[in-house]
Amino acid sequence: MAGTPLLRASGIQKQYGRVRALEDVTFEVRAGEVLGLIGPNGAGKTTLLECLAGVLPWSAGALLQGEQVLHAQQRSAVLFYMPDAIAPWPAQPLGWALDFAIGFFGGRAVLRDDVVGRLALEPLLRARIGTLSKGERKRALLALGLLMPQPVLMVDEPFDGLDLKQSREAAQTLREHAARGRTLLLSIHQIAEAARICDRFVLLSGGRVRGEGTLEEVRGLAAARAGRPAADLEEAFLALT
Amino acid sequence: MRSRSAAWRWLVRKEWRELLSARAFWLMLLLTGPLVGETFISSVRAYAELSGLHGTAAGVGEAFSPLIGVWSPTFSAYEIVAAFLFPFVVIRVVSGDRQSGAAKLELQQPLPASARIAAKAVVLLAGWLLASLGALVALLLWKSYGGSTHGPEIAAVALGHLLNAGLTIALGAAAAQLAEHPATAAILTLGFTVSTWAVHIAAAVRGGLWERLAGYTPPAMVAGFQHGLVRLDVVLIALVLVAAGLALSAVWMRLGVAVRRRALESFAVLGAAALVIIAASWLRPSWDLSESRYNSFAPADEQKLQRIRAPLRLEVHLAPEDPRRFELERHALRKLRRVMPDLRVRYVSQTSVGLFEQTSQHYGEIHYDLDGRTAVNRLTSAEAVLETIYELAGTPPPPQNDEGVFRGHPLAVPPRGAGLVFHAVWPALVLGSAWVALRRQS
Repeated sequence: MAGTPLLRASGIQKQYGRVRALEDVTFEVRAGEVLGLIGPNGAGKTTLLECLAGVLPWSAGALLQGEQVLHAQQRSAVLFYMPDAIAPWPAQPLGWALDFAIGFFGGRAVLRDDVVGRLALEPLLRARIGTLSKGERKRALLALGLLMPQPVLMVDEPFDGLDLKQSREAAQTLREHAARGRTLLLSIHQIAEAARICDRFVLLSGGRVRGEGTLEEVRGLAAARAGRPAADLEEAFLALT
Repeated sequence: MRSRSAAWRWLVRKEWRELLSARAFWLMLLLTGPLVGETFISSVRAYAELSGLHGTAAGVGEAFSPLIGVWSPTFSAYEIVAAFLFPFVVIRVVSGDRQSGAAKLELQQPLPASARIAAKAVVLLAGWLLASLGALVALLLWKSYGGSTHGPEIAAVALGHLLNAGLTIALGAAAAQLAEHPATAAILTLGFTVSTWAVHIAAAVRGGLWERLAGYTPPAMVAGFQHGLVRLDVVLIALVLVAAGLALSAVWMRLGVAVRRRALESFAVLGAAALVIIAASWLRPSWDLSESRYNSFAPADEQKLQRIRAPLRLEVHLAPEDPRRFELERHALRKLRRVMPDLRVRYVSQTSVGLFEQTSQHYGEIHYDLDGRTAVNRLTSAEAVLETIYELAGTPPPPQNDEGVFRGHPLAVPPRGAGLVFHAVWPALVLGSAWVALRRQS
């Protein structure tokens, strides 16, 4: 049901030697929402997503579904992570890669044509992934993510490399999937972009959560901190970090 | 989420496509044909000349065995392929996912790492079998010349090279997962090959433990099979090394597991492998599958020797690089170990070459001790060794019997058409297949 708590990240820490990349990161993911993980470059957004997905080990913390701690195997049934700046299976044509992803992960085959059409990928289906431009590859990765079977999709920088028109179309597609019940956790470093698409926000800076909530809630937090109201998400973010 | 078996089948399909899209694989196939062809052509030509071609003395090749004369050198091309070409294909297939970022996606399917690495290993083995078609072509050409073949000995050679390919897959897979970059993995793999050569050099110079260790390196392992000898300890040790390499690869494939835990698991894998290898090294069963009984004494001698239950101790005063020691090992001791399990040989020498020990009083002596009865001589031929043992055992040698003696299969036929097949048809077929495979994938 939309808005009900689905997952809770609790006390997540990640340390690289003496460097603390994440410190006591705690936040909530609600069913059917588009949750924006907002923060500047180096805030720890990618590290957090990789830890949640289990492709990077965390130093401490837990991901809970209700009261149940989800272990790595269980997490893979609930959430899927689509990294940024990868070119998976570069020698394979995009069409085959989509079919492979559906077959290998047990993905949503019924959505294939719709997703391909919405992200304007038809002309690229026979092109090798390694030959796609940055924007084309980003749309291909979004398509792969949307076809995955897990209820929660985490995407790292979903609009990076897309032009304005493509960004808006991709955002609309993501919103439509959220409206159908898919929960999205999007890591976005461009705050204005995030403000347009996300229902709620987790503000991350220096590996710590600086605030969490809807735009109004975040602005309220910023006002309480700065002593004056924040005009938008950008100002709220600056006030809180 | 997809069932494990269905996901695994998809993974195998993906790995197969990845292999077919790897230029390294096609390059390996392209080079394998001419390499195998050249060794085949040279060995068949030499075999033919020794068998009387071009007016050489007839009968010289009477005792010729196709295993030693043709198949051992022809298949040796695959040692070069396994050492210098195949590792790059393995590394390309294993580390490709990590380099492209596909590993981060694939790891989110809860398939065990062992199943993932098994999919890669199965596909790589299939790739090796495709490369092995060169040997099959050589075999067909040999048959077309009227050459004799003995199935078991060819199977032994093929098994040896298959195990060697398995070792290459395991080593390359482990290196590809342990190293951050494929170039580092390639250096690690080639470094291992070079270090096995170093072990051989050390064995030749120092003997002792080095010699024992050198017996289990891939070149030594393959050499045994190339002579038709299948040793249980060698097969088991090779299989354990393959399993250990693949297990290490599976351990380090799991990016989501803490490095400390992966390191501990690696030590556990290596420890378990070491224990099994030590245990396997005590196993003595072996099978001489060569038609010429290249690794065995005559059956009558073997029966006699097997009846001698007393422990036999030999003290051999010969340096590691002394040709007499080589002759003694090759013609007598290697065969003796197969029929007398309680045989211990101790080599004594002050130098590696032995040149400056010749004046030493005991240099060159072989001291025999069979249950307290002793003998000393300097004879290194198989006949002399057997005679000494029979004397010590107080048993007469078996009567000489020419029945069952391998007479050889001389064949004075030049390698007709082989050059065309291996240097023109093979490359054309490989290039054509590569073109079709790469086009079909897009």
